[in-house]
Amino acid sequence: MRDTLLIAKREYLEQVRGKAFKITTILIPLLFVALVGVMTLASRNSGVGKHLVVASSDAALANRVRDQLVSDKDARATVDVDAPVAGTERQALLTKVDQKDLDGFLWLDTSAPDAAKATYESRSAGDYATESRLQSAVNHALVAERLVARGIPSNEVEALTQRVDVDTVQIKNGKETESSSLSTFWAAYAMSFLLSFTVIMYGMNVGRSVIQEKTSRIFEVMLSTVKASDMLAGKLIGIGAVGLTQLAIWAVAAALFASSALATTLLSGEFKVAVSTPQIILFILYFILGYALYSTLFAGLAATCDTEQELQQYTPLAAVPIWLSFGMITFIVTNPNSIWSVAISMFPPCAPITMFLRLASQFPPLWQIVLSLGLMALSVVVLLWISSRIYRVGILMYGKRATLPEIVRWLRYS
Amino acid sequence: MSTVVYLDRISKAYEKKIAVKDLSLQIDSGVMFGLLGPNGAGKTSSIRMMIGITMPDSGTVNLFGQPFTRESLKRVGYLPEERGLYKKMKVMDQLVFMGELRGLDPAVAGRRAHDWCERLQILDAVQKKTEELSKGMQQKIQFIATLLHDPELIIMDEPFSGLDPVNATLLQDTLIDLKKAGKAILFSTHRMDQVEKLCDAICLINGGQAVLAGGMREIKSRYERNRVLLNFEGDNSFLQHPAIADYKDYGGQAEIQLKPHANAQDLLREAVQKATIYKFELVEPSLEEIFIRTVGEKVDA
Repeated sequence: MRDTLLIAKREYLEQVRGKAFKITTILIPLLFVALVGVMTLASRNSGVGKHLVVASSDAALANRVRDQLVSDKDARATVDVDAPVAGTERQALLTKVDQKDLDGFLWLDTSAPDAAKATYESRSAGDYATESRLQSAVNHALVAERLVARGIPSNEVEALTQRVDVDTVQIKNGKETESSSLSTFWAAYAMSFLLSFTVIMYGMNVGRSVIQEKTSRIFEVMLSTVKASDMLAGKLIGIGAVGLTQLAIWAVAAALFASSALATTLLSGEFKVAVSTPQIILFILYFILGYALYSTLFAGLAATCDTEQELQQYTPLAAVPIWLSFGMITFIVTNPNSIWSVAISMFPPCAPITMFLRLASQFPPLWQIVLSLGLMALSVVVLLWISSRIYRVGILMYGKRATLPEIVRWLRYS
Repeated sequence: MSTVVYLDRISKAYEKKIAVKDLSLQIDSGVMFGLLGPNGAGKTSSIRMMIGITMPDSGTVNLFGQPFTRESLKRVGYLPEERGLYKKMKVMDQLVFMGELRGLDPAVAGRRAHDWCERLQILDAVQKKTEELSKGMQQKIQFIATLLHDPELIIMDEPFSGLDPVNATLLQDTLIDLKKAGKAILFSTHRMDQVEKLCDAICLINGGQAVLAGGMREIKSRYERNRVLLNFEGDNSFLQHPAIADYKDYGGQAEIQLKPHANAQDLLREAVQKATIYKFELVEPSLEEIFIRTVGEKVDA
């Protein structure tokens, strides 16, 4: 135990004093903020400042649509009306779009009464923001138009078609809570993101550190006094502590920032972030178990390799669970309790990320969290057993990377 | 004098080859012991079993008069052939860390590290990072790390490889001092010339088996002195003397191989009559020759 702690302490001090630690401690939050900033700006600016033409044989409808579009201040769109229009003019509009004089045009065909057809033509496909604005404007205008046609006074039409935004309130323990679903969503989303790369980063870090000790032949010296298992344990504890230190630094920095005046202005509205105590506790638990899982895996793999390049060939083992988890984001967030969401949050390599994505929507039943943590702990124990055996033999083997049959043979050595 | 290492017929086989077969040896305190053999003979495998890095398939290892336990490793200092240091660590931190791992108090480890660095003339490097040091310096630090906890058994695998002559001598002298202080020292090498000067006892291994073992003097006395080094001036016809089996004449210097049981004194008498002799030395066979003869015989058998 004394040896393990000495090794852990050495590993911890070396890494915390190292350049890489300082750089990542500063750079990762900066990147994170930059990423969120870019995403916010991009979503605010998507479909903004477009130059559109509304073309219809029905001038009144076309004007209503335009008024609707222009009234949306966020869109800052320039909207011209081309009405009444003849079918032959469509070609001219197409040419204008093609020559980039226009971003696009909305063709409203009202020839069949009560079955109006709207087509938006532009160079870009998949401009969801503009599409949804047009959708809402056209429908709003059509309803108004139909109401007027049925003899409702136009001043009442406005009142009748008044839009309503849906506010979301989450029910926790049978009580309505203040935090909007967006703020909890962002918090959990950010946490799952943070968890995914800290777990992998520190897991790979252990692998790299094993390789370095192997290539510098320190093992030869160390193994004459220390047991291989103590060295492995010391390394896992030491680097894990480095990870927790870095997370703690970020947490303190984030707390200081959140209490500052700058944060109040920046984090208002959609980007309000709410973090609860259970989330923090779960974050730490999932970090520790996730880190233990990946670091044990990479420690074992690193012992079979001779160079960092060889180790990098195993990177997909860490990358695939992450892709899988993030590939399922939309599904998990919208169906947090479906069988698939529950299953993937029980699957140890994906559990840290997917459980936090589920947390983003609603707090899963306690037994599921306990089960997923239990399964992770179990797989860590199994992996530790395998890895420590591979490690013990592998660190003294030089030459080419070990093949699978060789590794299986190592497992049987006593 | 007490027995420090006792190996009783230890064997170790890896997948395709037998690394060590039925090796027995004994090392006493105050003895410099040489474990010799060509590359791949099983030297490192034997040492690894001696200190519990690997376990023998059969046979027993006794250290300090008891069956092997990890506890006894606190009394052993091992310098492996392939050796490393933590590159980013400062020399002093590294030495203290190694000392602590071997059970020393950090303060004691620091003091001893300082004394050793002074003795090996690297005191001005102690605050540098290891990666900034030359290879020779790093080797000295490894040497110190091995000795910091004052081990009773010192095991060094190829300790002098890569050292310049000045530093090699410095380390050799240190080892001799340690031997005089009663430590048991085992070193392995494939360079026989080093062993001749330093070792009291040797074990020659080849193909995982001991082919020759015993005290240095005793082993040498088993072999005849039948090689002559000669410096002369004048007539060289004495080189045709019947006692000579083979010779090389470098003009004024000759290396002569005598026939078995030939009388060297007869040869000297004849040489003196024909030429001026500056030097006539009847040399004992070098360890290298003994090794080649022994291994050669085995191969023939």
